[in-house]
Amino acid sequence: MRHLLLKLEPVIWLLFGQGIMIGTMLLTGWLLVVGIAVPLGIVDADALNYQRAHSLGSNIIGRLVLAALIALPMWKGAHHCRHLSIDHGGGDRDHIVAPILYAIATIGSIAAILAVVRL
Amino acid sequence: MAGPAHPRAMEPPKPGRTRTAPPQTPGSWPSHPRMRVYTLFGLTGILYLLVGFTSLRLVWALGEGPQRFHEVLASFGHPIYVAFHALTLAAVVFVGVRFLSLFPKAQPANIGPLKPPPRPIIHAMLYVVWITLTVVFAAILAGAIF
Amino acid sequence: MAEEKKTFVLTRFDPDKDEEPRLQSYEIPVQSDWKILDAINYIKDEVDGSVSHRWSCRMEVCGSCGMMVDGEPKLTCKTAVSDYGDTVKVEPLANFPIVRDLIVEFDGFMDKFKSVKPWVVRAKELAAEEGPMRQSPAELQAFKQFSMCINCMLCYASCPVVANEPHFLGPAAIALGHRYNMDSRDEGNAERNEIFRGEGTVFSCSYANECSEVCPKNVDPAAAVNQAKFNAVIDWAGSLVLPRGGK
Repeated sequence: MRHLLLKLEPVIWLLFGQGIMIGTMLLTGWLLVVGIAVPLGIVDADALNYQRAHSLGSNIIGRLVLAALIALPMWKGAHHCRHLSIDHGGGDRDHIVAPILYAIATIGSIAAILAVVRL
Repeated sequence: MAGPAHPRAMEPPKPGRTRTAPPQTPGSWPSHPRMRVYTLFGLTGILYLLVGFTSLRLVWALGEGPQRFHEVLASFGHPIYVAFHALTLAAVVFVGVRFLSLFPKAQPANIGPLKPPPRPIIHAMLYVVWITLTVVFAAILAGAIF
Repeated sequence: MAEEKKTFVLTRFDPDKDEEPRLQSYEIPVQSDWKILDAINYIKDEVDGSVSHRWSCRMEVCGSCGMMVDGEPKLTCKTAVSDYGDTVKVEPLANFPIVRDLIVEFDGFMDKFKSVKPWVVRAKELAAEEGPMRQSPAELQAFKQFSMCINCMLCYASCPVVANEPHFLGPAAIALGHRYNMDSRDEGNAERNEIFRGEGTVFSCSYANECSEVCPKNVDPAAAVNQAKFNAVIDWAGSLVLPRGGK
C-alpha cells in the first residue's frame, strides 16, 4: 500500500494543490451566495430558481465549474486530514488512513462528475 | 519536550556504540502560535471535505428536478447549515490568505527559459484573480449577471 | 552593579547510569552580552564538568551548537541570554535520538543527506583542457540561497513530518538536493527526482514552513522543498511520456 501511495503521490499532490487554489477561489463566491446570502434572504431566492440554475449549470462551463467546486476541495480536505493524522502520531497508521481518505475523495469526485453529466 | 516523537524518528542507519534516549517533539508544540495556525490550517481539511459533499447534494438535486432542487436549497436555510457554511467560508478565506502567502516562494526559479514574475507580483496577481473570480461568480449566482 | 543570575535547566542523560533523560537546574551569574552557549560553557567550566554539549565556531557558521531553548530550536551561539527570563530550559534537539545530555545522534541525518547525491553529477566530466565549467551570475543566483545551509539540523528539530515519518528525507537534505538540481553544471536531475519520489518522498512535506522560520541562515528550505515537489511532478509527467532509458 505504501508503494502504491508513493507512486500516486504526484497525482494526489496536483489534485490537492488545485483543491486549495481553484477550490478556494470558487468556494468563496459559492458559500457567500448559496451558503449564506440566499438562505438568509439577503439575495432573492429567485436568483437560484430551478430553471435559471439548471440553465447555468448545464452548459459546458457550468458543468466544469460545478465539478471542480465539488471535487477539488475534497482532495484538499482528504490530503490535509491525512496530514493531521500523521502530525498527531499517525505515521504508522498512514497506510490505513490515507487510502480511506483518498477513497472518499475519489468517490466524491466520481459522484461530482456523474452529478454534472446528468444535468 | 512536548512528548515522544516517532520512536524511529531520525534513526541512524545502524545502532551507535551507546544506548540512546528516544526522540522527543519540541516543547513549544502544540501551543506555539505558529503551530496553532498550522494545525488550524490542517483542520480546515475536515470542512473542505464536508462542503464538497453538501455542494454535491445540491448539484445532484439539480439533476433530479425542480421540486427536489428547491427542497435541498431550502434545507440550506437550517441554522446548522448556515452556521456550517459561514464557518467554512471563514476557513476558506483563512486557507486562501495563508496559501497565497506561501505560494510565490514555492514556484520554480525557471521552467526552461521562462522565469516567473517577482514574488510580490505573483502574490498581488493571485489576490486579483481570487477577488475577481469571487465577485464574478457571486454575481452570477445572485442573478446580477447572466 | 548587582550581578544578574539566571537559572538554566538542562537535560541530563548518561546512558550508563540513567534510565531516561532528567532535568537539572543550575543557577549561575550571567553577563548582559552572553549567548546561551556562553552560559552552558560556564556551567561546564565552573559548576559541573560532566555536562556534555557540542559547539565549535561560536560565530553561527559551523552549525554544531543547535539545541532547544525554551522549546524552540536555536543556535546557542547566536541566541542571547538577555532574550529570556529568569529560568531558561535547554534541551537537546527535538526529533533526534539523544546520545548524552545535550548531544543528539545525527547519523540518521547524514544518511538522508548522502542519499540525495549532494555533488555535481555529470554524465561525462569535462577534460582538463576544456577549462573550467563556466557559470553566469544569474545561473549562480538560481541556487545560491540553498547552498548557504550549515547543516545545523534546526529545521529537522522543528518539522512535524520529521517527528512522525521516519522515512521523510527532511528539509535540509531536500534543499541540498534541490540546490544541485538547480545548478547549471549538474546533470543529475533525473536521478535526484527519482529519489525525491522514493521512500523519503518530498510529497510528505505538509508545508508547515517551520523549517524556514527557524533556519538561522535564511536558506528557506520550505521554498526548496516545495519547488522540488513541482520539479518532481514535471519529471514524473515527463517520465510517463518518455520512460527512462528511452531518452
